[in-house]
Amino acid sequence: MVLAKDIKGADGGVFLAAGTALDDAAIASIAALGAPFAYIKPNPAFTSPEKDLQRIESFVRYYFQYVDPDSPLFNELFRLVMERVFEASQKGWAIPCEYERQAKSVEHLHDLFFRDQGASLDLVKHETSLSSFPDTYFKIKELLDSPASTAADMAKVVSADVSLAAKLLRLVNSPFFGVAGRVDSISHAIALVGVSELATLALGISAIKFFKDIPPELMDMETFWKHSLRCAVFGKCVASLLPGLTSERFFTAGLLHDAGRLVMFKNLPYASVQAMLYARSSGAPLLEAEREILGFDHTEVAGLLLEEWNFPAELRSIIAYHHDPLLSPAPRDAAVIQLADILACGVEISSTGMYSLPGMTQEAWNLLGLKTYDIDKLIRLHDKYFQELTSVFF
Amino acid sequence: MTLSSISSLTLRKTPRISDAEFADLRGFIYDVTGIDIPERRQYLLENRLGARLAELNLKSFAEYSSYLRRSPSKDKELVYLCEKITTNETSFFRDSKQLDVFRDFVLKDVLESLQQDGRKELNIWSAGCSSGEEPYTLGIMLHEMLRMSIIGWRIRISANDISTAMLNKAKDGVYNQYSFKTTPQEMIEKYFTKEPGGFKIHPKVQRLVSFAALNLNDRMALKRVPKSQIIFCRNVIIYFDEEMKKKVINAFYDNLLPGGYLILGHSESIHKFSRVFKPIIKPGGMFYRKEG
Ligand SMILES: C[S@@+](CC[C@H](N)C(=O)[O-])C[C@H]1O[C@@H](n2cnc3c(N)ncnc32)[C@H](O)[C@@H]1O
Repeated sequence: MVLAKDIKGADGGVFLAAGTALDDAAIASIAALGAPFAYIKPNPAFTSPEKDLQRIESFVRYYFQYVDPDSPLFNELFRLVMERVFEASQKGWAIPCEYERQAKSVEHLHDLFFRDQGASLDLVKHETSLSSFPDTYFKIKELLDSPASTAADMAKVVSADVSLAAKLLRLVNSPFFGVAGRVDSISHAIALVGVSELATLALGISAIKFFKDIPPELMDMETFWKHSLRCAVFGKCVASLLPGLTSERFFTAGLLHDAGRLVMFKNLPYASVQAMLYARSSGAPLLEAEREILGFDHTEVAGLLLEEWNFPAELRSIIAYHHDPLLSPAPRDAAVIQLADILACGVEISSTGMYSLPGMTQEAWNLLGLKTYDIDKLIRLHDKYFQELTSVFF
Repeated sequence: MTLSSISSLTLRKTPRISDAEFADLRGFIYDVTGIDIPERRQYLLENRLGARLAELNLKSFAEYSSYLRRSPSKDKELVYLCEKITTNETSFFRDSKQLDVFRDFVLKDVLESLQQDGRKELNIWSAGCSSGEEPYTLGIMLHEMLRMSIIGWRIRISANDISTAMLNKAKDGVYNQYSFKTTPQEMIEKYFTKEPGGFKIHPKVQRLVSFAALNLNDRMALKRVPKSQIIFCRNVIIYFDEEMKKKVINAFYDNLLPGGYLILGHSESIHKFSRVFKPIIKPGGMFYRKEG
């Protein structure tokens, strides 16, 4: 055995470095330091590629235990994730131990109400009464709803919010959006992508600001928004493979697809952690754990939240039904984000993934009319663009 | 082995569970334990038990079902099965806010009224105690509250679970870091001693707790549990369907002495299907009281 990670001394400096062989002397000195635990890994001299691959396989299988093992989609994704994790581990990524993948306990955090003493709507009302929504959002929404508004009105409102306008321009200029030439003003952007497409993007980006003060013990915000951004990228890419869909709204839907979770984390932090612990130990996806522990899930909360905000109905139903697309008034749209979310969770298995992948029914998959080889294509597109897009948002 | 061997991998590793086999196994599990496996977990169940079929050299889930019913080691197999379909997640001082209000409102009230009646006999039932962290926590809390005067009391904490593996761990009373994730450091220092295998619970706490295997779906067995003033059943009924929840809650009602309290897990409520108890809501925790 060797140390997988540095052990810090009392002064915060490195007490024993990663890679140190754990002989009796090293173990005695760790015990003397009083370190509660240490990360270890097998001595590289004793491992073999076969053993590595077996470990990787059992690690990856955990994430696929809930889904149909005969589904062509999930079989393809399983192999692609195996390759990904294998490559990551070749580059030195260590498979996290169970302890690292557990949610952290939050004994000091209080919930808004006990089970059955309140419902999802109470959460949403409470949340919207506390935090006010960005002004720009309402102005954009108003223009979208008014038939008399012009592209110039929209450009004026969006440009007035300097940080929003800057983000939008960087987004539109990114290779991912792939518009020809350099776009240096919002009115130019509107001319290229269209008023309602740009407004939808602006709605999504301005909504992100609403979510603050999420307890960091529950969720690291960077991890959360990275997942959302991945889902946005996949959403737009999936939509672009389907005939007749404008893809910008899928980018926005992806960005906000898990917004309901943030409202839950903030108002029911203790119960949310219980759901996370339950998901991890039972092998059920977090979605199902939410339903069992809280009695409702993040899609229900998001649906109500977006209704409270008067979000455009089609975006709302994509988000509210992204785990049950067949129940949606527009099933194919919701299925786009269901797949995007699953792919985002899939590529995160080699970094921050924690929970079993939620399933996708064959019927929902069929709605998309994709081939299994498209999965590889989609993941390559994601890999090509994701990194660069993170700099627009973070 | 390299990347190329990955391309031949498939998810399916176990025999397929047919809908009929799933229905049968699900029915069996429900009849015996009251645990309800939702249909959406069909693949999860298949996955969790698949390796077991191979170990037992069985070719199908139908064979596994009859093994569970007829094999000489069926009792042992049932324990194994339960472990695969429930979680044993627990820790000392789990939900400390709830325990604080429990101490200040419930425990204090119960101890005082017993003292007034001059009957210093306290029975607590910890139903679904997993590896023992919960009943031991209650033992520690009693020591903290009664201090030296605890010697004048007859205290019995009856702790049960369906899983004999968990009960064995509980009886050993040795725990690692994971069990202490919700535990104040001073409680660890005061009530545990460091051993090579972990931290051992102090015998004066251990003495208060009696562990025994018990299936909450076994009506007769439930009747034999000593009548209690307090019942803890936290994070257990989540596995049951409404019918079974009702049965268990009624059994708790019958077991409780008049004025006794039932304490459920943080995210559990019996609000929707039982009104026999009076809910008492305090900031931090909620309890159910049998009036009388
Ligand atoms: C998550 S643990 C709860 C432990 C502890 N009460 C707590 O809250 O930390 C659930 C326990 O319920 C037990 N259980 C499930 N069904 C049962 C049944 N029918 N009879 C008895 N125990 C059962 C499981 O074996 C498991 O140990």
